[in-house]
Amino acid sequence: MTRTTTLPHPAPRPAATTPVLSVRDLRISFPSEAGTVEAVRGVSFDLLPGRTLGIVGESGSGKSATAMGVMGLLPPTADVTGQVLLNGRDLVGLDDKALSAVRGADLGMIFQDPLSALTPIFSVGRQLSDALRVHQSLTKRAAWDRAVELLDLVGIPDPRGRARAFPHEFSGGMRQRVVIALAIANRPSVLIADEPTTALDVTVQAQILDVLRVARRETGAALVLITHDLGVVAGHADDIAVMYAGRTVERAGVAELFDRPVMPYTAGLLAAVPTVDGGERRPLVPIGGEPPALVDPPPGCAFADRCRVAADACRTTDPALRDIPGHGQAACLRAGEIADGTLDPAGPAPDGTPGPVTGPAAPGEVVLRVEDLVKTFPVTRGGVLKRRVGTVHAVNGVSFELRAGETLGLVGESGSGKTTTLLEILRLKRPEGGRIEIAGTEVAGAGAEVQKLRREVQIVLQDPLGALDPRLPVHHLLAEPLQAVGADRAAVRARVPELLRLVGLDPAVSDRFPAALSGGQRQRVGIARALATEPKLLVLDEPLSALDVSVQAGVINLLARLRRELSLATLVVAHDLGVVRHLADRVAVMYLGQLVETGPTEALFADPRHPYTRALLSAVPVPDPVRERARERLVLAGEQPGATRPPEGCVFVDRCPLYRHAGAELRRRCRTERPAPTAVDGAPGHRHACHAA
Amino acid sequence: MLRHVTRKAAGWLLMIVVATNATYFLASWFLDPRANFRELRPVRTEEQIDRALAPYHLDPRVPLVHRWWEWLTSVVRHFDWGSSPTGVAVNDEIGHRALVSAELVVIATVLSVLLGVALGVYTASRQYGWADRLSQVVSVLVLNIPTSVAALAVVSVAIWLNQHAGLHFLYVAGENSPNVEGLLPTIGDRLLHLILPTLTLTLMGYVGHHLTQRSLLLDTLHADYVRTARATGLTRARAIRRHALRTALIPTATSVAFSIPALFTGAVITETIFGWNGMGRYFLQTIAKNDVHGTVATAAFAAALTAVGAILADIATVFLDPRVRVS
Repeated sequence: MTRTTTLPHPAPRPAATTPVLSVRDLRISFPSEAGTVEAVRGVSFDLLPGRTLGIVGESGSGKSATAMGVMGLLPPTADVTGQVLLNGRDLVGLDDKALSAVRGADLGMIFQDPLSALTPIFSVGRQLSDALRVHQSLTKRAAWDRAVELLDLVGIPDPRGRARAFPHEFSGGMRQRVVIALAIANRPSVLIADEPTTALDVTVQAQILDVLRVARRETGAALVLITHDLGVVAGHADDIAVMYAGRTVERAGVAELFDRPVMPYTAGLLAAVPTVDGGERRPLVPIGGEPPALVDPPPGCAFADRCRVAADACRTTDPALRDIPGHGQAACLRAGEIADGTLDPAGPAPDGTPGPVTGPAAPGEVVLRVEDLVKTFPVTRGGVLKRRVGTVHAVNGVSFELRAGETLGLVGESGSGKTTTLLEILRLKRPEGGRIEIAGTEVAGAGAEVQKLRREVQIVLQDPLGALDPRLPVHHLLAEPLQAVGADRAAVRARVPELLRLVGLDPAVSDRFPAALSGGQRQRVGIARALATEPKLLVLDEPLSALDVSVQAGVINLLARLRRELSLATLVVAHDLGVVRHLADRVAVMYLGQLVETGPTEALFADPRHPYTRALLSAVPVPDPVRERARERLVLAGEQPGATRPPEGCVFVDRCPLYRHAGAELRRRCRTERPAPTAVDGAPGHRHACHAA
Repeated sequence: MLRHVTRKAAGWLLMIVVATNATYFLASWFLDPRANFRELRPVRTEEQIDRALAPYHLDPRVPLVHRWWEWLTSVVRHFDWGSSPTGVAVNDEIGHRALVSAELVVIATVLSVLLGVALGVYTASRQYGWADRLSQVVSVLVLNIPTSVAALAVVSVAIWLNQHAGLHFLYVAGENSPNVEGLLPTIGDRLLHLILPTLTLTLMGYVGHHLTQRSLLLDTLHADYVRTARATGLTRARAIRRHALRTALIPTATSVAFSIPALFTGAVITETIFGWNGMGRYFLQTIAKNDVHGTVATAAFAAALTAVGAILADIATVFLDPRVRVS
């Protein structure tokens, strides 16, 4: 089922109600080997009944620690001071027994990773009825029936049957629904959701946010929504608190905050978010620098070092959160000036901003040609005598071309075959079906040939911390690929600083270990390592998803510059469509191992033709409360089925909104005939595979 | 479940048959029963020796296959596992000694698992607390003490206690005292004799369970699902017991089940020091005395125990992890 919905507008602020949750000057610190980490340094907020407070911040800003502090789930070593008043009762300092009477009953929590949040050895029905019986005296039977009702409420199909199933039998999205059911089981007055959709695909994210809204409506609970995604809060929060380095730096209603952020950090964050909608894509403005370490925080404003409008006073006095007329509150000495419009938080036109990111360099020769690529995996059963019981069609007839100086973005939900396509290209062996041609040479799998091709194709991986050997300093990391292609010592010594400068790093970092670098620096080292052998084709697998928004923008701009300067052909796999829009010249949308639509980025984002592309784009939340709440959203129901037995006709037919309204003849075609890529009139290079579009 | 266990048991039975027969051939090749008669005075001729061995189907002049067939048929038909070269029936020996070993091993195993797991749970949930550090130090020390040293230490402490406190219930040798009659006195007497060897075996056995259970539980203790369980309103202790411990017990259950055969035949040092005639000593004796049938029977006994252990491990896993039932 597919629904078209719009989001409700922010609830009007109720007059003088007592807050259901009120946090006063919460401070949390942890002992660590480097010293005391002050994770939360004085956070205060009020949550009124039935309202949603969005807490936004990057990793390390203290937002999760705040949530855990409110729940009383911090490790025993944590030192907590301040007040957490839930319905007037202070929770700080209560012992575990007293807190456990509150947790689950008045406070419900939804966690980030649904894959690990449920106990693997108990059925979901058992976990739900256990949660009910902790606080209510119900018979086992009554609790089980209530559990089934809850599963039904959060949208689990066939709840009675599925209640007996174990967590591993559910998909990530379905598990997150179960986690939500657990959180609302005892009708708490406050729900805390810590990054509830971060681990999910966009289409599933949209579904989960809907479930969260239903859950809130059913229980009347107030919600604390913690996320790094400004789009999510724009659509779902009434008030927003922005956290930075353990403090609340800005607090305002959602409309005011997005309309005119008064804290330079908030303004910077908004400028750095890649978006999918809106006319021309604008170059992203990275904030620059990194958040400070919280072991020994600087005396002044924690953001001063990264702030473009910092005054001298900012470095010595730490501003308190104070009221800004007509706006809310901000912890900034210059907030007043910014609020009246006399000061632009982006600072004086910064020099060295990236040039235009749009416009590919003149397309060069074809570097990568993939024709009709096929990759299947056998599904086997049985221990000793394995027998094949099925086939997963991971990649099924994918064709595309990539030219020098061009970037192709491969998008789709997890399980659509994006990564398999990348791996098939990187394997440099003759594919199972179809052909791959790199720099004019057909990949055939002969030993010497592979050696030569290896040089031409390099990869940048998702998690730079995992991809770089922690025991090698940066210099060795960069020297390794050079030595592998036979460079001598002098050449290596000359090339390493050159590479570091190329990716915007100071050559002084070359004696550091990866652990001593920040996330953004690590990913830059990863890119430098990939560029060491001067490849023609650079493959990037989710290159930005491990990075924070403020750092991400810098890497996006770097990749755009590299592509232009080195006329690299780059193939990017990313689940974040905003990132793809800023990185890619052309986009290919994959579903169940097939390309359903390809086209130039702007044409595809402005005028998506395939119903799947439309749904995918519609599912991405827009970081603008006005547009986000006004636009019509297409929420795809269900999840991508497994690729074991793809439909005979169009692979998307089971979830297709167009199919539902199609006539009998069209339906028959969709069912039986696989749509071939068709060109869109008047848009060269824009092709889609749909009978109905 | 029953079908699954039956299928597993059938597989194990086949394995036992193969292993036992293989042991028979190996033992017959390497052990020479005639050696037992060579030291006897007056000196006997080879022919006399062979003749003496013949009634027990150990006569080396008879082809091996023939001897094997005789042995096999008597095992299959009468469950008679043959005799030692000196004519002692293996069945009698094993029957008696298995009981002695069971007495020694079962209580010690149960105690060491209980103690080890309890300590593991207690210390894991108080990681780096003083109780954790102290018990860690003690366990690592005990782990490094050889069984013989520990057993002798236990013996000397017991003797000291007996002397200084005028106690007389800590028996340092033997399975029972002579001249005890009646059911209850016999049981009481045997239990008193059990105290010290059980103490030694428990001490030697708990360490492994403590250290592995501690690290297994630490792995699951910080799992997200324990946090979720606490968020639904369970106290930390209850969340650990219900959600973390059960998952962490699965490997322990498997390892305990599989350690049963090793315990039966492996408590040699404890048996020797405390003067118990259990399976461990018997195994060594049969090999030392070139007792082919005794060695094979012991091997078969150990194989059967391994099978029992494996099936118990399966049952324990199914009990602890209901996911297994689904697939």
